[in-house]
Amino acid sequence: MAAPDSPSAALRRHDLCSRGIRLAGKMRSDVVDLLDTYVERQGLDASASVAAVEGVPAAAAERWDEQTGTQRLLENLVAYRTFRALLAQMLEEHREQLGEADAALGQALAAILLQVSAFAYHLEELLRLESSGPPSEEGAGPSPPLHLSLFERKLRGLGVLRELAQWAVRSARDLRQLAKPGLGSSSAPSLAESP
Amino acid sequence: DSHIQYERVGADVTMKCGSMDWDAAVTWTANGTDIDESHLNGSYLILKNVDLTQSGQYSCYEGSSWHLKYQTYLRVGTPPKEPVLMCRSNNYPKGFYCSWHLPTPTYIPNSFNISVIHGTREMVCEKDVFPKNRCHIRYLQLFSTVKYKVTLTVTNALGKDSTTLTFDEFAIVKPDPPESVVAKPVPNNPRRLEVSWQNPSSWPDPESFPLKFFLRYRPLILDQWQHVELSDGTSHTITDAYAGKEYIIQVAAKDNDIGTWSDWSVAVHATPWTEEPKHLTTEAQVTETTSASTSSFMPPPTTKICDKGAVVGSGAVAVCWTAGLVLAAYGVLFI
Repeated sequence: MAAPDSPSAALRRHDLCSRGIRLAGKMRSDVVDLLDTYVERQGLDASASVAAVEGVPAAAAERWDEQTGTQRLLENLVAYRTFRALLAQMLEEHREQLGEADAALGQALAAILLQVSAFAYHLEELLRLESSGPPSEEGAGPSPPLHLSLFERKLRGLGVLRELAQWAVRSARDLRQLAKPGLGSSSAPSLAESP
Repeated sequence: DSHIQYERVGADVTMKCGSMDWDAAVTWTANGTDIDESHLNGSYLILKNVDLTQSGQYSCYEGSSWHLKYQTYLRVGTPPKEPVLMCRSNNYPKGFYCSWHLPTPTYIPNSFNISVIHGTREMVCEKDVFPKNRCHIRYLQLFSTVKYKVTLTVTNALGKDSTTLTFDEFAIVKPDPPESVVAKPVPNNPRRLEVSWQNPSSWPDPESFPLKFFLRYRPLILDQWQHVELSDGTSHTITDAYAGKEYIIQVAAKDNDIGTWSDWSVAVHATPWTEEPKHLTTEAQVTETTSASTSSFMPPPTTKICDKGAVVGSGAVAVCWTAGLVLAAYGVLFI
């Protein structure tokens, strides 16, 4: 494996970051479209405020600009592995609930799941370029299914998609930070103070 | 004893001459001018249905000694109406600012109090020195789905009112317009104009938070704009300009992923390059003419109405003129 700072590793990192940024942008756009469909099909109010949902990784970050590259990758990877499991669960529940009655929504969910998986793969590849490598998947994924009513499951699904949309924006920013020239994985960028 | 007294427009005001008895002989003045006795009830000064012009200094003097017994500064005004509040982030991801104003003046001093709540956390909005109806907040968290709730209360001596704004982090992101917009003709290209600009200086990190741009341009003689959206870069070449016509050009900016478009930049003007006319010589004189913007409009013989092949730049999207619009433009030019 190439050393983390070798030219080939830098090129590979840049390539993975560029593709990851594009994937994050497409993912966000598709999740936002899916949110509109989901709200409508599930009979929810688009302005409904969903409190922090247990087991859903929150995109909110304090001192985001002070994170190192490795911290960014690890937080992203944990989040997207969790989303992968959450979306698989949502897809399963959707099929049980509606069968083939709403194939479009099921297909849209499946497409997002695919993108989330692809993005997780990108993150794993980026971490392999760092000396640490990606963590194992033991213990990753959501907690055992809660006994939620149908309405609670719908609200939870809304929370999952909303948080995923935030993550997609954050991930593009994280990868742009990572792609900045001269920044190693262990150094944190400093945002110049502006008046 | 000097006081300030605030009263509403239209109110009836009664002023007592300090501790003087009702039947004491007194003289009242307004801004140094004696007030007619018809406004007095005993030693009390009665002002009915006060208006703004009656603001001023009112003094009461004891009848015979002319000792000043009481003085007050009357300020006539109105209680505040619901203030207008706006919040915006033009320096994302550093923070945002909120600014406010009253829809109508109160004519008396007002104080403003602003509270910002994010989830359960109360944040401090630091007031700017200038302008004074503005405060700013640094983001403690980014990428949060929790909304911000900003409440502004305006208070004066006659009453108070408030307004509340609720928004999420992404919704208020609006950069300042692009700066240093420059448009230049391209030598030997009568239909091109080269436009360049810079990111607004208030946008702190364009590398991690890149901006996309919207360019609009039109010849001065026409009203309809043509638009081009550019997903990267800070320059663009217009390739379908009318030869010899002065153009007006503006650019706007938006974060690539979130928020809304900036206002349009300052407008710049440019005219495409035109070929100098050939010299005409006669036996009597040699006349030299220079190319000028007053030259008549003569389209190149191979001009197409919509040259799709002329679209350049990655991510550029061109909007083509319709045939009818071009013919209408020709008609206008030859009137």
